Amino acid sequence: MGCEISNKERAGVINPMYDCQPAGAQYAGIGVKDCIPLVHGGQGCTMFVRLLFAQHFKENFDIASTSLHEDSAVFGGHQRIQDGVMTLARRYPELRVIPVITTCSTEVIGDDVEGNISACNRMLKEEFPGRKIHVVPVHTPSFKSSQVGGYSECMQSIFKTITTAKVAPTGKLNLFPGWVNPGDVALLKRYMGEMGIDATVFMDTESFDSPMMPDKSISTYGNTTVEDIQAASGASASVALARYEGATTANYLQQEFEVPATIVGTPYGIGNTDAMLQAISRITGKSIPESLVKERGVAIDALQDLAHMFFANKKVALFGHPDLVIGLAQFCLEVELEPVLLLLGDDNSKYKKDPRILDLKAKCTWDMEVVCNADLWELEKRVKDPAYKIDLIMGHSKGRYVGIYNNVPMVRVGFPTFDRAGLYRKPTMGYAGAMELGEAIANTLFTHMEYNKDREWLLNTW
Amino acid sequence: MPMVLLECDKDIPERERHIYLKVDGEDTRDFLPISNAATIPGTLSERGCSFCGAKLVIGGVLKDTIQMIHGPIGCAYDTWHTKRYPTDNGHFNMKYVWSTDMKESHIVFGGEKRLEKSCHEAFDEMPDIKRMIIYTTCPTALIGDDIKAVAKRVMEARPDVDIFTVECPGFAGVSQSKGHHVLNIGWINEKVGQLDAEITSPYTMNFIGDFNIGGDTQLLQKYWDKLGIQVIAHFTGNGTYDDLRRMHKAQLNVVNCARSSGYIANELKKQYGIPRLDIDSWGFNYMAEGIRKICAFFGIEEKGEALIAEEYAKWKPQLDWYKERLQGVKMAIWTGGPRLWHWTKSVEDDLGVQVVAMASKFGHQEDFEKVIARGQAGTYYIDDGNELEFFEIIDLVRPDVIFTGPRVGELVKKLHIPYINGHGYHNGPYMGFEGFVNLARDMYNAVHNPLLKLAATDIRGETATPVKEAAE
Repeated sequence: MGCEISNKERAGVINPMYDCQPAGAQYAGIGVKDCIPLVHGGQGCTMFVRLLFAQHFKENFDIASTSLHEDSAVFGGHQRIQDGVMTLARRYPELRVIPVITTCSTEVIGDDVEGNISACNRMLKEEFPGRKIHVVPVHTPSFKSSQVGGYSECMQSIFKTITTAKVAPTGKLNLFPGWVNPGDVALLKRYMGEMGIDATVFMDTESFDSPMMPDKSISTYGNTTVEDIQAASGASASVALARYEGATTANYLQQEFEVPATIVGTPYGIGNTDAMLQAISRITGKSIPESLVKERGVAIDALQDLAHMFFANKKVALFGHPDLVIGLAQFCLEVELEPVLLLLGDDNSKYKKDPRILDLKAKCTWDMEVVCNADLWELEKRVKDPAYKIDLIMGHSKGRYVGIYNNVPMVRVGFPTFDRAGLYRKPTMGYAGAMELGEAIANTLFTHMEYNKDREWLLNTW
Repeated sequence: MPMVLLECDKDIPERERHIYLKVDGEDTRDFLPISNAATIPGTLSERGCSFCGAKLVIGGVLKDTIQMIHGPIGCAYDTWHTKRYPTDNGHFNMKYVWSTDMKESHIVFGGEKRLEKSCHEAFDEMPDIKRMIIYTTCPTALIGDDIKAVAKRVMEARPDVDIFTVECPGFAGVSQSKGHHVLNIGWINEKVGQLDAEITSPYTMNFIGDFNIGGDTQLLQKYWDKLGIQVIAHFTGNGTYDDLRRMHKAQLNVVNCARSSGYIANELKKQYGIPRLDIDSWGFNYMAEGIRKICAFFGIEEKGEALIAEEYAKWKPQLDWYKERLQGVKMAIWTGGPRLWHWTKSVEDDLGVQVVAMASKFGHQEDFEKVIARGQAGTYYIDDGNELEFFEIIDLVRPDVIFTGPRVGELVKKLHIPYINGHGYHNGPYMGFEGFVNLARDMYNAVHNPLLKLAATDIRGETATPVKEAAE
């Protein structure tokens, strides 16, 4: 029994698990209210990412491009940054934030983003006196890191540009959940409400699940305001729930404005949620209310019906964002599922030293493999390998064909989950999220048993 | 009525030259929107890049070919799971995408070795696959990696494989259209003429500019089988790499999508003397006309008439059922370019639908000439439309249904306007007789969706829409 942590051996990628840095930066950007990210690069870098978000959320998000063409590749794209910023400012009078997100091409060309933003700021001041637009430089060359790092980078850049002064203490808590669904944001807000804590979630993406209204109004945008971002420097503390997505911003606020930062384990599963709530209780002095103890009990009650009867000894392959995959593996252990394969999809060297992975390594009593810089071909090869006998895949929709064509049940979780309806609305974090997830796993296994006529009679009397 | 400057465009007045409202008595000698021109930065244009025009639209359709994308990971990630073009071999083309996953050190020191290694790995991992297309992307083009040299080395090391290269970074041209062109011209010059074809019929053709969206190619193939016409190559729906190397063996090139693939048909005419015949494959009148033209070329008119009669008998009653119920429906088409002129008259003639606004992402002058000639007066014709313009146009023309992509579809949903996927279809195929019934059915189901009335209802009774209407 052991746990092996390795890297994908191939140089190339077959079926990538993550998109590139600018995609992640765009996701952070759309979480801000009155903000349109301006991606400095070819048009595909924007068009496809907008499509990706639309596929996942079944919603449209506004993201602009500088539409880099050949002349810019030769002579530089300076003018296109300035034209892009000014065009956005003129046509969108509510606009208050424009993150200028670089890509591989514009980083290779070496466009002076900061210099152009200074020029933009002068022009904006002249043309729109009394209106402040924060133009944020975001350096996210696609040949570094991944969408995971890009999300973090853009978040931090937005704070570095907008949170420039220590404001008077607000008594609020900054909460950095990482790249999560509206369902998770709603859950975290509810938890904070039930604990009586005034918290600000960065980014507040709850309304990414937005309604069709009789008056045809559109409310599909992030709700984190410029004021929220500015006030973050006066918060009593920051809590980051994802080590690789947003924790750097919590650390930045600590270094610059002495807002104490705590990084907790990502709250997937019961134990991680316990630890998060206890940490927040400790930091804020607020006690954990009866309602959450009860919700916890309901979740454990539901999972208890599933764990040793249906889940035990089932071998699970996990892929997706690092904080998600690690959290899911910890959750698996709680419900007697056996995570045998963890795939992390970029070359971040920190994963191997992540204390949570080391903890998993110490706890598991079966062979577990962690592959860093992995692609989904690594998943497919192992799913096809009879030696692995993988019973369940958990990951996002880009791995759908591995499940479909190898007749292995697959639970969709993470980003993107475009081939299942409404998952963005459901929490994965917290007690309710653990319960949702456990029940999704059970129902997926049950459906698989039925379609394959594999001991489907077990459920005759369950 | 000349060109239109919309209210939202007052700060970018050059947009006036891209939007035209047709008036009776005018034609394209009077007014023609500017097209295929650079996009204004920050306008929220709908355009993609030329790399995607090559990879996602044309090359990536092939069912037996590794698509090796030489660049950072995003170019591969983003051109995967964004198309609906099935194949008869289990959708190899949709299941996989390949990338050299360029990192900073490769940008600094060059990525050719990494590309070569990635090519070998891909062939090693998938030993049954022997064909590959390598694409450059923005950064690998900027640093000047010689992908042709790499392809040559890999082919020398592996005599049973064949590799085609496409040098078309995302910043080339002004839209995806440039990528279509680069791939067309590269293919005819480098690959056509390499293989002989086994001729099984006295009538042979290439079917060009159809990408098996929703199964289009497979549906039309039934017609060609019935007519006894051998299709040497499908460019590129459900097609194979090697079939495309045999294109010179056909007697006729039938072109559906002239924008993405007219180039190769022109070159086949120039280099091999094979005539080009353009048809429209969407709509009853057009499809019948296309079949008649093809059959006239081969001298098999009777077969053609028999096929048309058979198909009309089978599908026309269903089409008419929908036509009766779609009379006067107002439709907008916001797609790439050619579908504007393929569809505007066919939905009008076959379904009684009025097309009130059309926007093209990457159409050229000839596309606007065609669509304005075929389209109605009172209709807006827009080049490279952007989001604020769409809102304003919707207010002006109030369409009942919009044929566009999923993202814009989600946007107009909030305005209580249903969308039909004008790129990948809702439930295709849409080509051919059966396909146009599918289109009519999807449109009918969209405009009669009961949820639209419910959405308009304010249960507090404060809107103009009476509650009882929703219950009808």
